[in-house]
Amino acid sequence: MSDAALPAARPALGPRWLRRVIGISRRSPTLAIGAAILLCFAALAIVAPWLVPHDPIAANPRNVLAAPGGAHLMGTDGNGMDVFSRVLAGAAWAFGIAIPAVIVGLVVGVPLGLYTGYKGGWADEIIMRVFDALRVFPSIILALAVVAAAGPLLLNVVLVIGFLDSPVFARVVRAEVLALRNSTFVESAIAAGNPTWRILFVHILPNAIQGAMAQSAVRAAWAVRISATLAFLGVGIQPPTPEWGAMIRQGAEYLVTGQWWVGIFPGIALILMVLGLNMLGDGLQDLLDPRRKAASK
Amino acid sequence: MALERRDLLLGTAALAAGSALSAPAVHAQGAGRTLILAAPGAPEGFDGDALRPGTQEVVVQCYEGLTRYGRVIRDGRPYLNPDVIEGHLAESWTTSPDGKTWVFRLRQGIRSPFGNELTAEDVEWSWAKSFAQRRTGAFIANVSNVTAVKALNRYDVEFTLSAPSMILLAALTLYVPGIYDSTEAKKHATADDPWALRWMETNTAGYGAYHVESVRAGEQAVIVANRNYFREQPHFQRVIYRAVPSAASRITLLRSGQVQWIHRPLLQQVAELRSAPRVKTEDSFGRTIASIRMNMGIAPFTDRRVRQAFNFAVDRQALIQGVFFGLAEPARSIVPPIVAGYDPSFFNYDYNPQRARQLLQEANFDFNQQIDILYSQIFNWEEPMSIQVASQLQQIGVRARATRITDSDMRARGAPARQDMPMFSFEDGPIVLDPVYSNFLLTHSRGVSNRARFANPQVDAAIDEARQSLDPARRIELMRTVQRIWMEEAPWIVTAYPTVWEAMAPNIVGWCPHPDDHERWYDLRVG
Amino acid sequence: MPIGLLITRRVLLVVPLLVAILLFTFLLVRIGGQDPVGLLAGPTATQAEIEMIRAQLALDQPIWVQFGVYFGKVLQGDLGSSWLSNRPILTELLERAPATFELLFWGVLIGAGIGIPVGLRAAFRPDGAFDQASRFLSLLGFSIPTYWLGLVMLFVFFFLLEWAPPGMGRLSLFLEQPPAVTGSYLIDGLIAAQWDVASSAFAQLVLPVFCVAIISAAPIIKQTRAIALEVLSSDYIRYARAQGLPQHEVRRMALRNSTTPIVTFVGTELTGLVGTTSLIEYVFAWGGMGQYGLSAIIQNDFAAIQGYVLVLALFSVLVFLLVDVIVMLTEPRAGARA
Repeated sequence: MSDAALPAARPALGPRWLRRVIGISRRSPTLAIGAAILLCFAALAIVAPWLVPHDPIAANPRNVLAAPGGAHLMGTDGNGMDVFSRVLAGAAWAFGIAIPAVIVGLVVGVPLGLYTGYKGGWADEIIMRVFDALRVFPSIILALAVVAAAGPLLLNVVLVIGFLDSPVFARVVRAEVLALRNSTFVESAIAAGNPTWRILFVHILPNAIQGAMAQSAVRAAWAVRISATLAFLGVGIQPPTPEWGAMIRQGAEYLVTGQWWVGIFPGIALILMVLGLNMLGDGLQDLLDPRRKAASK
Repeated sequence: MALERRDLLLGTAALAAGSALSAPAVHAQGAGRTLILAAPGAPEGFDGDALRPGTQEVVVQCYEGLTRYGRVIRDGRPYLNPDVIEGHLAESWTTSPDGKTWVFRLRQGIRSPFGNELTAEDVEWSWAKSFAQRRTGAFIANVSNVTAVKALNRYDVEFTLSAPSMILLAALTLYVPGIYDSTEAKKHATADDPWALRWMETNTAGYGAYHVESVRAGEQAVIVANRNYFREQPHFQRVIYRAVPSAASRITLLRSGQVQWIHRPLLQQVAELRSAPRVKTEDSFGRTIASIRMNMGIAPFTDRRVRQAFNFAVDRQALIQGVFFGLAEPARSIVPPIVAGYDPSFFNYDYNPQRARQLLQEANFDFNQQIDILYSQIFNWEEPMSIQVASQLQQIGVRARATRITDSDMRARGAPARQDMPMFSFEDGPIVLDPVYSNFLLTHSRGVSNRARFANPQVDAAIDEARQSLDPARRIELMRTVQRIWMEEAPWIVTAYPTVWEAMAPNIVGWCPHPDDHERWYDLRVG
Repeated sequence: MPIGLLITRRVLLVVPLLVAILLFTFLLVRIGGQDPVGLLAGPTATQAEIEMIRAQLALDQPIWVQFGVYFGKVLQGDLGSSWLSNRPILTELLERAPATFELLFWGVLIGAGIGIPVGLRAAFRPDGAFDQASRFLSLLGFSIPTYWLGLVMLFVFFFLLEWAPPGMGRLSLFLEQPPAVTGSYLIDGLIAAQWDVASSAFAQLVLPVFCVAIISAAPIIKQTRAIALEVLSSDYIRYARAQGLPQHEVRRMALRNSTTPIVTFVGTELTGLVGTTSLIEYVFAWGGMGQYGLSAIIQNDFAAIQGYVLVLALFSVLVFLLVDVIVMLTEPRAGARA
């Protein structure tokens, strides 16, 4: 990865890391904006417990469906809970689902990709066929069916999303491994008598991981979206947990009768966060190889 | 404050929104007048014994009973008078001195849409069907102590009871066991379908005012007037029963004049609808109770103090405001206020969180255990109510949580054979306005709508005795006992009786509230 | 490789895949341990009746036997009956198929109609203002939840502005369906010269198709741009440029070489879009297969879920096959890759 060429005319301003950040931002504004959005959300998620004006799950039957304004910046929902507090708290939940899910996907997918790419043969064939078979389904239907059957637990949602992410990571890593397998440094590592696992994890992995890292942001975006969709359909995270999808689910009932705030605000938050993650992922992919848009879904 | 039952039956003020008749309320399509109605789903069958979504709404129009309630007019609106039962398909009846044999004389000349005349044979066949199916019809038979129905001659039919019953006449007003045109039904029976149930999934053959003409599964049903109906022809000759799953869409259609009737509009919209110029809303006192039930057989609800504590912990007024937008009456008895023998004097669970905590401590309640309130989407108040109650319980330190289960799970687990949910929400009410019926349904250990394994030997004994008693005073006294015991045992967190609302085009009049919450299209007309 | 052989080979490969999918779904829906008998028997059923129904449905047999029975029926075209509506699932799916296909068709047509030209234009002038804008819009399209978009559309255009009809199906309540020719109410209405039907069908189509179009345009823009960029930087094009070929000629060549991968991509996107479309169907009460499938999954109607998933898989397989055939026909060189 080539270094960002700093404009020679300017004197070196500020610490090196700042210059790198500016340099990267220049090359990929998408990445910069995405990262900025994400940092905002992360900050909100962290300080949410102290920032929220009301308890996000405090039901108040005497103040149901209040319009935005006054004590409730974004109004209250059908249970009398403050929408603004819930939207803030929802950020924490979004991270709480996306991060573990992506980790699960990496933990399952990367070793699979490494192994099948390196070894090839039977295992490779079978595993790739299974992944191809999974592509035949729209992933939302598959996720929905599994979570509906297994139960609306956070664990199930995270695991399902993670497992559905793993073929993507596996494919990306596998492609890298295939390219690297015949390179000289790998051959010399083999010749030196390294065991397979060492070759895979010490020699190949650091080079193969880049693609997966770039994909992580995109997969995180997908994780946030899918968990919201599952909650919207009533199959995922349940009320009164302040998950954005669950909020939109309740909001849907009131949207067409005029109490728009219940569903609109969580939707906007969801869009912004997913957009941030997508921009981050897009920018990362750009940086790594502007011409290679991973076709993997 | 003792509520006068009669006043409540006659309902709170019927709010007719006045002014502009801007929407033509009735569109004549084809011959005669048509009523277009929007409902959550299209009817999925017309066998009154096997209730499916949409069945009851249509079946009550097509199948009428041997008897009917009398009527009164108050403030220009018709109401049922549950103290008066008249003959309908039957013109008269006699009882044996011991009260165990009744003979009903049928009116002559009553014809079905297929042209067949009503005979005692039809009645016998119909009740045999219900007995054989062992479902809702059989339950009604059981509740009224009926053991056999036999045709004596062309127009006389004999009911044999195991014991005298004061419920029988009221039960005979119901749509189930339905009175079928057995001549027509038998044409569609087969060896392994002797009651023509398959045919009844898409057809009706009754002696009522209406008759199913066509069904487009999942979309709509078209119901037409029975041209051979024994009374005056209805105003609306055709009813289009249209499936519109979204409640908000239904209201929009009503406001724009594209439909003329919707049942049970969303409560959050009723306030708005009441002032909408192109919509008329009418209400009637509810006879179903929305509640959170506790299963006495499952810990920690085995201890009465826990159940009572939970009742003290709940702020009913807040619930009615937040969940029902104020459109419900607080519940003070398991017997609905509009039923004779209603006694609210045993209710003393006014909101008292300190007392609740005290009781829980006395009962050595484990505050660390997780209490799940199970709810479904069968009734749209279930989710908000469960969340609010969980929240109120949390305020006294109980780790309560609202948990959703599927609709089919909720029904299955509440069925008499299972009843294994510790705490859950549901709505039930009697369709016969009789206190013994109400209690047999809800508080008897064998009650079909018990769902929470409430079982108290004294209650059972009182109900069983009342079922056979012909002494009105004794019956009322026994039912008071039941209400007292039940309220002391506090197996449910009683909350509210939601008001029943109907929304219609502004120039439709004649709605008469019925105990089954279904309008009768026969009553409606443009006026 | 001749087309016939390709198709046969594909079909043979696909059959075990479909069986595996069927088995997978069959086992999947039974994870939760739901007991459907309670629902079917009704609330007043006795224990004896419950056992009887259980035996009737073969629910007391071991799981392998049950699957065998089911599979045998599927081979005969019987997908079983829905537990909720009691109607044959195949019938219900077939009834609803035209609605879904109509939505997909118009949605993808418009989405591709917007997406492909935008992606191409962006590729021809990479990193320009247009490119940046289109990339942002594409990312935005990826980020908007489908169902939320549908709800907001309804809120704005139906509730606030009252331009659009309520989201309740494909046709206004008053009107009867036109005689079925294609299954599309719009087209059939036009064919039968029923202008009110056609205009109502059109009005009902506007919002949902718009949503599908937006959602489908996003990946199409992105991928078209990527494909076009790749083609533009290929040796073939570079050589042509070096030869002094005029810009529009170069672009035409690029277009021609891009067509196949773009078509392939749209085909694969289609299968993913079925899932998205089902959410739109759900929000607009469209009455298509997607809404049916979603409801079935949410309510745990086993047989309906199995039927729906099978139909989805079949559809995807068919689309992939069709795409490959098209590729074969337009680019014989690529035929070796099968």
